[in-house]
Amino acid sequence: MNEAIFIGLGVFTLLCASSVVLCKSPVYSAFSLILSFFGLAGLYVMWASPFLAMIQVLVYTGAIVVLFVYVVMLINPGGGGSVYRNGIVMMTSALLVWSVCLLLLKSMTGGSQSAGGAHSVTLKMAAKLLFTRYLWPFEILSIFLIVMIVAVFALAKEPKRGKA
Amino acid sequence: MDTFSLLVTAIKTLAIYLLIIQVVPVMIYVERKIAALIQDRPGPNRVGPFGLFQPVADFIKLLMKEDPVPSNVNKFLYQLGPYLAVLPASLAIAALPLGDQFEIQGQTFLLQIADLDVGLLYIFAIGSLGIYGILFGGWASNNKFSLIGAMRSASQIVSYEIPLALGATGAVMVYGTLSLREMVFKQSGTFLGVLPNWGIFVQPLGFLIFFVSAFAETNRLPFDLPETEAELVAGFHTEYGSMSFASYFMAEYIAMTTMSAVMTTIFFGGWQIPYVSDTWLLSVVGSKNILALIQVAVFMFKVMIFMCIFVWVRWTLPRFRFDQLMKLSWGNLIPLGLINIVLTAAAIYFWDMR
Repeated sequence: MNEAIFIGLGVFTLLCASSVVLCKSPVYSAFSLILSFFGLAGLYVMWASPFLAMIQVLVYTGAIVVLFVYVVMLINPGGGGSVYRNGIVMMTSALLVWSVCLLLLKSMTGGSQSAGGAHSVTLKMAAKLLFTRYLWPFEILSIFLIVMIVAVFALAKEPKRGKA
Repeated sequence: MDTFSLLVTAIKTLAIYLLIIQVVPVMIYVERKIAALIQDRPGPNRVGPFGLFQPVADFIKLLMKEDPVPSNVNKFLYQLGPYLAVLPASLAIAALPLGDQFEIQGQTFLLQIADLDVGLLYIFAIGSLGIYGILFGGWASNNKFSLIGAMRSASQIVSYEIPLALGATGAVMVYGTLSLREMVFKQSGTFLGVLPNWGIFVQPLGFLIFFVSAFAETNRLPFDLPETEAELVAGFHTEYGSMSFASYFMAEYIAMTTMSAVMTTIFFGGWQIPYVSDTWLLSVVGSKNILALIQVAVFMFKVMIFMCIFVWVRWTLPRFRFDQLMKLSWGNLIPLGLINIVLTAAAIYFWDMR
């Protein structure tokens, strides 16, 4: 029973996550992102950390994605193709993204004891783990996010068409 | 869980849900009556005795009307909008503690759909999702007025979620729990020997911040900028008619009820009667189930008082301008909330207020 729910939620989350990338319209992308975050929150509940699930919904689904949707609706970008659709750029970026992912994976699986499992995680434990064991992955992720923001800026900027 | 308790739980869930939903038609009547009282006119008085069947007539009218979909809207999101508004508002009901517990055939059940350890966070989290119904509905309408209304609503709700949470944080620090049920238990007895040990006396500033933010969170006057009829026709629901419009209306009223219930729970002792302890009351009435009924009645009474205050404020105060609204949140309420948290922490540290 639990396994079925877990697999169902996982598949749902991944499907929605891929639809974020695949949807042509940015509004539908944002909508998929909301659903995907919901799936993630469900997974957190399954891992016996309802606190994390609530924070996930409150912060990401309830505030950050609201701002995404807000901006998308306000500037209403067209669904046009990216100006960066060139082989070298795409290869380099794919390589970079995968290397960061590998780095994350390596630093998270380094220790001997696993933080997962079905036991409930208290707030104190989570805070302690975040500042000791997971400090390095956490910092990598934050740099990753900054890079993402810069990339989005570059992608969203209208290509220059002579003098306006 | 055996079949019997599963059945009772299902019936209990349905009963609590219907009880809260019933507030909507009652409030429509009360709102029109109080508006009439404040404006010195009779109000609805044609349908049934004292116009009591007016909400029923309204509902039938809305149900029978055609629900046209304008031609240039985004059909999928346009039709999804009202559902997205009602669903989170209804889901938030699950964590409200209406009373302590009742007994059927020797088994006790909580008078609450789900006693979550993170009940308060759950209500905040689910409540913050109501914005998507407005946002997607307003955008999909393909109408400038709707879009501006939706944009206003989004920025307003995101801005006021912060003081709302800050206002409740002080109370959470004092009670030392996020479970709404335990918060009610922590408010029994007296504070300083005279006052009931309610959140409003322990956390007056926190209550004020929470109270003001609650109006903005539910898009009610004086903060109903998303639907200002003087500037935006009807704001985000300009293009909606019949039951789609009614769904938005219903979502607003359920959100109001939830907010009132949360205020009752955190700041007004939930189901508790001041100066009367549950154990003493139990010895008087003799049965746990009668006590449960009294508790639900007390809880709903407090909630209805808050609802009436919502209506009273609506027909008394003029609307804010949008920049004033933003200034109130970021410039006044958030600093006040932070000060309140620091003061509360200091008080707990020095006098052990718990």
